[in-house]
Amino acid sequence: MSGRRVALVGGGLSVFGVRAATWGELVQEAGRALFARLPELAGKDVDSLFVGAAQPERFAFQSHVAPLAAELLGLRPWKVVQRTELACASGQSAIRSAYAAIAAGLSDVAVAVGVEKMNLPSMAEANTSMADVLDRPWDGVQGATAPPFFAMCAQRHMKEFGTTPEQMARVSLKNHAFANSNPTAQFYEKRFTLEKLQKLPMVAPPLRLGDCSSMTDGAGAVLLVGEELARRYTDTPAWIAGTAQSTDFHNLANLPSLTEWGALRRAGQELYRTSGLGPGDIDFAELHDCFTISEIIEYEDLGFCPKGSGGRFIEEGESELGGRVPVNPRGGLLGCGHPLGATGIAQAVEVLDQFQSRVPPARRVAGAEVAMVHNLSGSANVHSLMLYRRGN
Amino acid sequence: MAATASSPAQRPEVSSTQEARTGASPPQGAGGEPPQRTPFLLDFYPLEDAHHTRISRFFDELRAGRFVTTWCPRDQKLLWPPRVVCPDCHGEDLSWKELPRSGHLYAFSAVLAGAPLGMESQVPFVVGLVELQGVPLRIFSRIAPATYDRLEIGDPVELETYPVPGDRVFFRFRPTSPR
Repeated sequence: MSGRRVALVGGGLSVFGVRAATWGELVQEAGRALFARLPELAGKDVDSLFVGAAQPERFAFQSHVAPLAAELLGLRPWKVVQRTELACASGQSAIRSAYAAIAAGLSDVAVAVGVEKMNLPSMAEANTSMADVLDRPWDGVQGATAPPFFAMCAQRHMKEFGTTPEQMARVSLKNHAFANSNPTAQFYEKRFTLEKLQKLPMVAPPLRLGDCSSMTDGAGAVLLVGEELARRYTDTPAWIAGTAQSTDFHNLANLPSLTEWGALRRAGQELYRTSGLGPGDIDFAELHDCFTISEIIEYEDLGFCPKGSGGRFIEEGESELGGRVPVNPRGGLLGCGHPLGATGIAQAVEVLDQFQSRVPPARRVAGAEVAMVHNLSGSANVHSLMLYRRGN
Repeated sequence: MAATASSPAQRPEVSSTQEARTGASPPQGAGGEPPQRTPFLLDFYPLEDAHHTRISRFFDELRAGRFVTTWCPRDQKLLWPPRVVCPDCHGEDLSWKELPRSGHLYAFSAVLAGAPLGMESQVPFVVGLVELQGVPLRIFSRIAPATYDRLEIGDPVELETYPVPGDRVFFRFRPTSPR
């Protein structure tokens, strides 16, 4: 990592769920939460705004959303104002772009907002928009949305490595249990048992309802600043200690493997190489559990456990509090819901909240100093990673 | 420099070993009614004719019962989906190659809920990755008619074409040894 150091110093979230609120109202809720947390922050100090939004054109019939969000937040950015789109990783893309702008000296004080309004009067229309994330005229047209794609990953992982539906259900159980201590989570009040999860209806076999994250409305906002400004806002910032991204091709025919995500391995190796840290240094990780099988494959390709043993990793409690790498103490996408643009922002807020000991004991990773955030997008062909280190 | 569909010199040519077969009839619209045009932003199927795409040849061949894609002679590589430029060497000199119509299931699932607009009436439906016989290609496709519980990895499938609204045609794979 070269250039100026960048700090994450504050964050705020809307409640996630099936919300009686519009796209713009969600943005306002997140912005209000950010400003409430940072009384020192004045709108006039924010020189840049990055808006992570996957599909406002189709979910909210609205484009040119960065200036719209600026208006809703009362900001008049004069350095950078733009939207970032990377499907399910749009929120993290906003943070990475803000990071790049600040590290380069273009921006000093940047807000990254992430938002998605996914629950529409017609959910079939919403599902249509989810099917254009993959290669629409070749794969989407055949019925390729996320559930059947990740179901095929699960089917192959079960065949190649003996992973079981119960191991997958355990991922869901863990993340839903964490979500029970997160009041912004979509499933905050919903209790599950392993038995109950394994009896939920199939969505795309072998994936049941509890193996899939939800269509969720939600927004989040964070503040990132150059190193010399960090202490103005907090005594305990989260320093960006690394970031990496890697890509495989888009059409499903051109994806090398369903069970070994090469782009994730490469991104992980690059993150470890550039930060000088390894899998053993990660105190907790916010991983992209859009489906239970995703989290299992991520354990493996990030080097938390050997290839093929992700199912045992969850079974043996290695991703629980007190395990080798606690994963998704926020509640994950499974427990919190997955508003595409907001997810990456909410994960970053969790990192800061953990570092600042602002989360309840039921999900607190005691003494956490280093945290990883991961998002995948599309057919798991793009992987985006960030590494944060607690400032003292 | 952009080649246009109307400049034959720039158009990928079908190699001589794959001359058109005769006898395949064009697909009929459902019940002979005038085709209902889906609003473009909700229409999954590509626009297939030469006014809209430079790979209209793919759909013409499909209509005639042949499954083809582009081939880069310089890289000796099949390109899927059909391209107008080789993504590897950026050459434009592509030819068309016929693909095998048979293959087997590499992976599959079924959509039981959450189908897009226009596909809800087809729920439940099976989809899968089909490993084509003898060529290094795994193509994602609808698997029909099929029941998820009766399929296994490795089951043989065969290509078939079907008509699509707007006088278009598309492809899917049919299991050939129903259990």
